[in-house]
Amino acid sequence: MLLTDTAAAEPGKAAQRGGERARGQRRGLMGLLLGLAVLALLAVLRMSAPQSVATGMSDSAKDFVTLAVSVLIESLPFVFLGIFLSVVVQVWLPDGFLLRHLPRRGVLRRFAVSLIGVLVPVCECGNVPLTRGLIIKGLTVAEAMTFLLAAPILNPITIITTYQAFGWENGILVSRIAGGFLIANLIGWIYSRHPRQEALLTSQFQAACASEGEHHTATGKLQRSVRLFTKETSAMMPALFIGCAIAGAIQVGIPRDVLVTLGTNPVWSVLALMVLAFVVSICSNVDAFFVLSFGATFLPGAIVAFLVFGPMIDIKMLVLMRTTFTTRTLVQITSVVALCSAALGLAVNYVA
Amino acid sequence: MSLIGIVATVWLGITGQLGLYIHPRYFAFSIIMAVVAAAVVIVSFALSPDDEHAGHDHEAETGHKRFWAGASSIVIAASAVALLVLPPTTLTTTTLEQRDLNGSAAALTEEESAKLTAGDASQFSVKDWASLLRQGAGVEFYAGKKAQLTGFVTPDQEDPENVFYVARFVVSHCVVDAQPVGVPVYRPGWQDAFPLDSWVGVSGGLTANPSVASSEGIVIIPEVVAAVDQPQQPYVY
Repeated sequence: MLLTDTAAAEPGKAAQRGGERARGQRRGLMGLLLGLAVLALLAVLRMSAPQSVATGMSDSAKDFVTLAVSVLIESLPFVFLGIFLSVVVQVWLPDGFLLRHLPRRGVLRRFAVSLIGVLVPVCECGNVPLTRGLIIKGLTVAEAMTFLLAAPILNPITIITTYQAFGWENGILVSRIAGGFLIANLIGWIYSRHPRQEALLTSQFQAACASEGEHHTATGKLQRSVRLFTKETSAMMPALFIGCAIAGAIQVGIPRDVLVTLGTNPVWSVLALMVLAFVVSICSNVDAFFVLSFGATFLPGAIVAFLVFGPMIDIKMLVLMRTTFTTRTLVQITSVVALCSAALGLAVNYVA
Repeated sequence: MSLIGIVATVWLGITGQLGLYIHPRYFAFSIIMAVVAAAVVIVSFALSPDDEHAGHDHEAETGHKRFWAGASSIVIAASAVALLVLPPTTLTTTTLEQRDLNGSAAALTEEESAKLTAGDASQFSVKDWASLLRQGAGVEFYAGKKAQLTGFVTPDQEDPENVFYVARFVVSHCVVDAQPVGVPVYRPGWQDAFPLDSWVGVSGGLTANPSVASSEGIVIIPEVVAAVDQPQQPYVY
């Protein structure tokens, strides 16, 4: 009885499974075609858009679009790179590989984490997805924050461009590197005292962390990579797009004269350039060249504050980081980093 | 959403307009990343159905969720319009007014200007001339030298009647850091012939500024000012 039952059930189940696979494949093919269709549709839209649409727009509106699109086009490849690295860390690195090679003690461990940036020269926008990958991989939130804040400053490209722009003049380069390192580790230390690390994260991201375990099922690594990539992009893209739009809008809205007139006062110059860093949301790899143009007007301490504060916190970064950390946490981080950078800038101003 | 960005990047790359937004050294990187990402996104279309299935089981449809769905479709629509429908343009005088014309030391470095004083003056760009003028060399230095420049028109704040600048934006990374540079041109009544932001070719010698109101010491006294088309590369690097 039992035997005949299973024997009878077996071919039926096999056929069912076969049918399911065929349906799965067909659905996959449909999906692929749908994807290509969307791509083609967007391409056609782009190519057929008439040149005359913008004639009715005012100059400021045009400049707003140009600036926002420029920030976006500039940071998009870096975000993709960051997501790829994040996928590599999550899927392709053997479990515990990263954690095994780090020192065990809290302080030393955070020192080491803040130096990871030397190995992965992505600038700050690419670091957010990578940080998410690191947290999922088992780094504590405090350690991941240390990485997120230190990596944009302690990376070879940033250091080289800063050196090209300023040389050893006024200790700007040294203060930038040391300041970035110290502030990142300070933040890491503060949050390592936090009793419930997961409370710092948004509930969406906590869910993503929790679901990580389930995905270890039979599906291949490649398939998982693609899934993860999709998941990360859909979390990052809205934030990136909105962040770019805000950065563009504020650039058109705030007249620079206001900032520049403040430039020569030791206290106000520091604050003014920090506001500017926050507003322009420029990439840490090149912000040195950007601020060089203010070198004549502003005191060196202000420039250090710009170079330390900007890579860690700006509009675009805050919107991106909001995908991962709670608003409360971000407000705390921003105020600590701002206070420290201001203190650093003032110190440089009075010493130099 | 990634697709919108990708299509926009690749299209700009193919039509050679990527230079309107970023420095040429990032072209290859941007396009490669965009193409790779496009491949992954398209493959993901083939996989996504069952993922979404799993997701929807857990979440109840609430008004809160619907609000976010609405908000995100607005963001998608807005970005599609900005990236795919509007034609790419350059920055205008509005932004130039926000940024100090010729105020940037970064765009005009000392090292280069040493090279400039010895160089062949007829080949100089707007940026080169602007660096030279910043050095503050006397009138004698400019005697016999002729400038031939292309740039867009923007007025001198102090003497908008008689003096305008042939200006360009210098881009060191992307348009966000664009710093304007310009060379003053003395031509009374220029407004009647050339609208703001239009592109002109100017050639002429440099000499002391006849305008009383303007603070510029040296200006171009143009022999020819002609309207030209916007060049393929409107920014200088």
